[in-house]
Amino acid sequence: MPILIVEDDSLIRELAVVAVEDWGYRALEAGTVAEALLFLRSSQPIALLFTDINLHGVPLGGCDLAREAIGLRPKLNVVYTTGNFISTEMSARFVADSRVLRKPYSLGQLKDCFSTLLAA
Amino acid sequence: MSVSEIAASDIVETVPSALIILDRNLNITSANRAFYQTFRTNAAETEGCLIYKLGNRQWDIPALRTLLESVIPHRASVEGFEVEHDFPTIGRRTMLVNARKIFQPGEHDGFILLAIEDVSEERAARKESKRNWQLTQSIVDTIRDPLVVLEADMTVVTASKTFMIMFGITEREAQGRRVSELGQHQWDVPALRHLMDKVLPEDKPIESFEIEDDFPMLGRRVFNLNARKISQPGNHAHRVLLVFEDVTDRKIRERDAHMLTTEISHRIKNNLQIVVGLIAYEARSTAAPCVQGYMAMQARIGAIAQLYDLISQSSRSGAVAIDAYLREIATTLRASLLGEASGISIEVKTEALDIDPDRAVPFGLLVNELATNAIKHAFPGGKGRVLLSVGLVGDQIELTVADDGVGIPVMTSVKNAEKRGADYLAIFVRQLGGTMVPSVAQGSGTIVRVRLPLLLVPPGDPGKLAA
Repeated sequence: MPILIVEDDSLIRELAVVAVEDWGYRALEAGTVAEALLFLRSSQPIALLFTDINLHGVPLGGCDLAREAIGLRPKLNVVYTTGNFISTEMSARFVADSRVLRKPYSLGQLKDCFSTLLAA
Repeated sequence: MSVSEIAASDIVETVPSALIILDRNLNITSANRAFYQTFRTNAAETEGCLIYKLGNRQWDIPALRTLLESVIPHRASVEGFEVEHDFPTIGRRTMLVNARKIFQPGEHDGFILLAIEDVSEERAARKESKRNWQLTQSIVDTIRDPLVVLEADMTVVTASKTFMIMFGITEREAQGRRVSELGQHQWDVPALRHLMDKVLPEDKPIESFEIEDDFPMLGRRVFNLNARKISQPGNHAHRVLLVFEDVTDRKIRERDAHMLTTEISHRIKNNLQIVVGLIAYEARSTAAPCVQGYMAMQARIGAIAQLYDLISQSSRSGAVAIDAYLREIATTLRASLLGEASGISIEVKTEALDIDPDRAVPFGLLVNELATNAIKHAFPGGKGRVLLSVGLVGDQIELTVADDGVGIPVMTSVKNAEKRGADYLAIFVRQLGGTMVPSVAQGSGTIVRVRLPLLLVPPGDPGKLAA
């Protein structure tokens, strides 16, 4: 099951990709909102979007991306991650039934989160 | 004495004004009681005396001479003639003199009736009041923050210079107009109306009501409004004093500081994420017994990371509320060790205390270590409760981590991972300058107590950090 990982820090993205592939998922990776949208607009199957929230200095870029993604693929699972404090302004923009992991998340947390969402 | 004569003399004696009657040569023929009292003289000294000679010539006043010699001969009466004079006996006085010529039938030369009213006190009070008003106005004008006094219907009574400058209006344009009509109606905001509706009925001053807007002459500004009802004694009408404190620069600095904190926090978290990721990456090729240690390492890093959120939200120079801090640690532990379906709960119970950020990290790691031990070893059945609590005991702080599990004497545990945990505990406790209180078996479960010097500061008192 393909997971789209959107993270502007390439090292963090790389480490997540390695872990996700270790767990037996297929990883698609994007460093920008534009790259992510290329995947989301394509016919490529995607089971889950795992996105950072602050992308290239846009404070809620990941929130906007997820909204657009749900518009394109209503059944998509969404997991956010952020190094910032989760403000009410931020959480108000989360899409329905999404999850959020605060940085630094452990890979154990990430694995649990993905397996719970994808098993449902 | 006819009835009319009696009535006239009674009136003369009872009026509060000093009255004297002069003949055409300006000799005093009679005076009333009020005159004698006011000018501290008596009938014997007064009657028949030339007015100018009365009381060591103290009535020889140029202004009075002008009145009696130049004005009276040409007029039947004079009213409100003001005479100010230094009387040797009674000091400086201001008097209002009313004069009237009185003719009796058959007599050509009349008498002059002088009514003398001492208005010194009234004049002094008026002067004082004027001085006070000028003083008030000059104070008001030197206050940098625009200030305005409003009637209950929000019309302007008076306003300071800076207020006029702010609205780009003159005093005349401001007076009697409603605040909402001033400038380009930029104060016609529901928030302000609501504020004023509250001040008047509730008698409660309003502090720091924030309004941010674009002002035609000033650009974008943030004002703190302070409003207070002014009640005047004996007057039922209430006025409102409204002070506009320009906090724009302070707000900009606060926003910059907040942005900087957020940015730094974001970078730190990303860097910690890299560290956690690298540890996990390393763990892939590590023998199974060591994996546990790598996982504990991730949890410790998580505990440190939570601090940054709390510090960036904390307004008081970085002091961290212990209650919120423990709750964060509990949340992190739940997420990293327990998962959603766990039968193990973590509860927090603390007194209202703050911790200084220098010691928050080892303190958090200590809590993390003790709680992790309890979660991992106290509940083989996967069910139970861990309680994290902090309280004051004398002049020390006591951290207690208690569980209702199987009861493991923490310090004497034999497992390898446990031993390392015990080592960490010792490091953290030492760093905090504390001591471990030997664990007590209490029914079932384990209670670990750590006594720490007063490293916590009372809320709102960040200056008093313990050395």
